[in-house]
Amino acid sequence: MSDVLVRAEGLVKDYGQHRALDGLELEVSRGEIFGFLGPNGAGKSTTIRILLDQLRPTAGRAEVFGTAPREGGPRQRARIGYLPGELALSGRDTAGALLDHLARLRGGAGTTRIPELAERFNLDLDRPIRGLSKGNKQKVGVIQALMHDPELLILDEPTSGLDPLLQHEFLTMVREARDSGATVFMSSHVLSEVEEIAGRVAIVREGRIVDLDDVATLRHHAGQEVELTFAEPVPAEAFDGLPGVSDVEVDDGSVRCLLRGEPDALLKAAARYHVTRWSAQDRELEDLFLDHYRVPVSDDDGEVVADPGSSVRAGTSAGSAPDTERAR
Amino acid sequence: MASDATPSTSTDASSTAAVTPTGGSDPSPQRAGSVTVLRWVLRQHRRALIGWTVAVAVVCGIYVSFWPAMGDAGELEALIEGMPEGIVAALGYDAIGTPAGYLESTIFGLLGPILLLVFGLTFAAKLVAGEEEDGTLELELSAPIARGSVYLQRYLTVVLALLWLCLVVAAVTVGLVAALDMQVGTPELLAITLGMFLLALAFSSVAFAAGAATGRKAIALAVGAGLAVAAYIANALAPLLDDGRWLEAISPFAWYLASEPLVDGLSVPGALGLVALALVPVGLAVVRFDRRDLGV
Repeated sequence: MSDVLVRAEGLVKDYGQHRALDGLELEVSRGEIFGFLGPNGAGKSTTIRILLDQLRPTAGRAEVFGTAPREGGPRQRARIGYLPGELALSGRDTAGALLDHLARLRGGAGTTRIPELAERFNLDLDRPIRGLSKGNKQKVGVIQALMHDPELLILDEPTSGLDPLLQHEFLTMVREARDSGATVFMSSHVLSEVEEIAGRVAIVREGRIVDLDDVATLRHHAGQEVELTFAEPVPAEAFDGLPGVSDVEVDDGSVRCLLRGEPDALLKAAARYHVTRWSAQDRELEDLFLDHYRVPVSDDDGEVVADPGSSVRAGTSAGSAPDTERAR
Repeated sequence: MASDATPSTSTDASSTAAVTPTGGSDPSPQRAGSVTVLRWVLRQHRRALIGWTVAVAVVCGIYVSFWPAMGDAGELEALIEGMPEGIVAALGYDAIGTPAGYLESTIFGLLGPILLLVFGLTFAAKLVAGEEEDGTLELELSAPIARGSVYLQRYLTVVLALLWLCLVVAAVTVGLVAALDMQVGTPELLAITLGMFLLALAFSSVAFAAGAATGRKAIALAVGAGLAVAAYIANALAPLLDDGRWLEAISPFAWYLASEPLVDGLSVPGALGLVALALVPVGLAVVRFDRRDLGV
C-alpha cells in the first residue's frame, strides 16, 4: 500500500460564486503529524470535510488511503477518527450514551476505551450533553475521534475550547497515537499549538497552500529580528538591497530589519558606522504565519509594493510554494 | 467483518495506555441492515413521543366522550340547522348527527390530522434538515455508515412514530366507541385510521424529502405544511363550487375522506395516491441527498 494516506490534487471547491478551495495540493504520509494552518475561512474545514465525504470537490481529486472519499465510503471512514471543527452536540442523553452510540455506529469499535479516555480527560460520562460546557463537549468530540484507535486522525481545530492543561493532555495523546503508528492531519489557526508536535506544516490561504515545509525549515524562513543602534544618524541607502535582509526601517540612529541566512553582508554594512548596540532575536513561527496574511494574494503589484510584507513573502515562498507568485 | 468489534468484556487488561491502530486489517463499518440510527433517534425523542402519545389519546378520548352529550342529545343537529348550508358542507358537518359523521368531522376530519401533521411535519423536518443545519448530524455522517442508510433509518423513524400515534388513536376510539355503544364498526374505524396515517405520512414524507434534498428545515416545513393546508382548503371548497370535483381529485385530503371511510370504507385509489405521495418524493430525494454537499 502507498505511504501517502491523504492526497489532494488541484482541489477546487466553489460555493456558488465563492471559491473556497483554489487548486489545493498536499500529501500526508503514513506516520507523520501534519499541521494544516490558516485563519478561519482559508479553506481548512472545506478540505477536511471533502476528505470525510461530506462535501464533493468541484474539480481536482482528493484521496484517503489511495481512494476518493466518495468511492471509499463507510469502509474508508471506519479507519478514520474525525473531530469536526464546529462540533455540535445536543440532547438530554448523557455523554456516555452518545459515545456508546457512536461506537455502535462503528460496529462497537472503541466501546471499551471510553471509560479510560473519559478519565484521562476528566469527563463525567453521566452528565447530559446539553448541560455540558463547550470545553466538555469538545472532550466528547476528542474521545469519539480517538476511541477506536484509527489509522488516520483528522482533527479540525482540535484544541479549541480546551483549557491549557487539557490541550497539553490532548497533544500528548496525539503524539502517543502517532508513536503507535497512526497518522495525524490536524488543522489550526494558531501555529504554536501544531509547532510543538507537527513534523510538517502547510499554510493555507484563500484556498491554496502558500507554504509547506517541515517545522525546522519554516523556523529558518522565519529568520531573525535584528536591531542596530549607531552613535550617529545613518543613511537609509546604506542598508538597501543587502542579501537576506528585508523590512528595513531606518530611524535616525537605529536600524531594524529582518534577517534570513548569513548576517555577513548586514554586519559589513553596519561596520562602516559606529555601532553602539546590537540585538538579534529569533522570530516566532507565528510571525511567519502572519507574514503570509499581510499581503493580499490577488494583488500582483500596486499596493503590495508599499507593503513591507511583500519581500518577506518572496523570500519565504521561494522553493516551497512558488505558485503563490503566479498571476491569477 | 465486525469480528473484533464486539464490545468485549474479556481482556482489556493490557490495553490501558496502548494506542494500537487496527492497521487496516479489520475496520468495522456499520453492518448492512443495522438499525443503530433508528434506535438512537427514537431514544433521543422518547420524551416527545410520550408527550404526543398522551396528547393524542386525551384529545381522542375527550371528543369521543362528548358524543352522548352532544350528538345523541340532538344538540349538534340543532346547531347545524342554524348554520348556512355552505359552511356546513365546507366543514363536512352534513352527517354530524350520526356517530360515524361525528367521528369523521371531529377526530378523523380535523383534530387527528392536525395533531398528526404538526407532529409529523416538525419531526420529519428536523430529522435530516434540522439536524444537518444545527450540525448535530455531522458525527453520524462521518461514521462508517452510508448516507443512504442514515436517510432510510431516519425516514423509518418518522413512519414508526406516526404509525404508533395512529395506533393510539385507533385503540382509544375503538375502545370508547364500543363502551359508548356508538354502532360504528371496528373494521371501518381501522380503515379510517389507516387513511389518516397515510395522509399524515404523505405530507410528512414530502417535508422529509424536501428537507433532505435541500438541507433546509424551513423549506421542509414550508413545503410540507403548505401542501397540507392547500389540500385541506381544496377539499373544503370542493362541495361549495358547482364544478368542484377536480378539487377533490387533486386534494390528498379528499383522497382520504371523500369516500366517507367510516361508512363506505377507505377508497383504494385514494389510499394508493397517498402512498405514492409519500414514497415518490422520498425516493427522489435520497438520490439528491446522496450527491449533494452536506452541512453547508
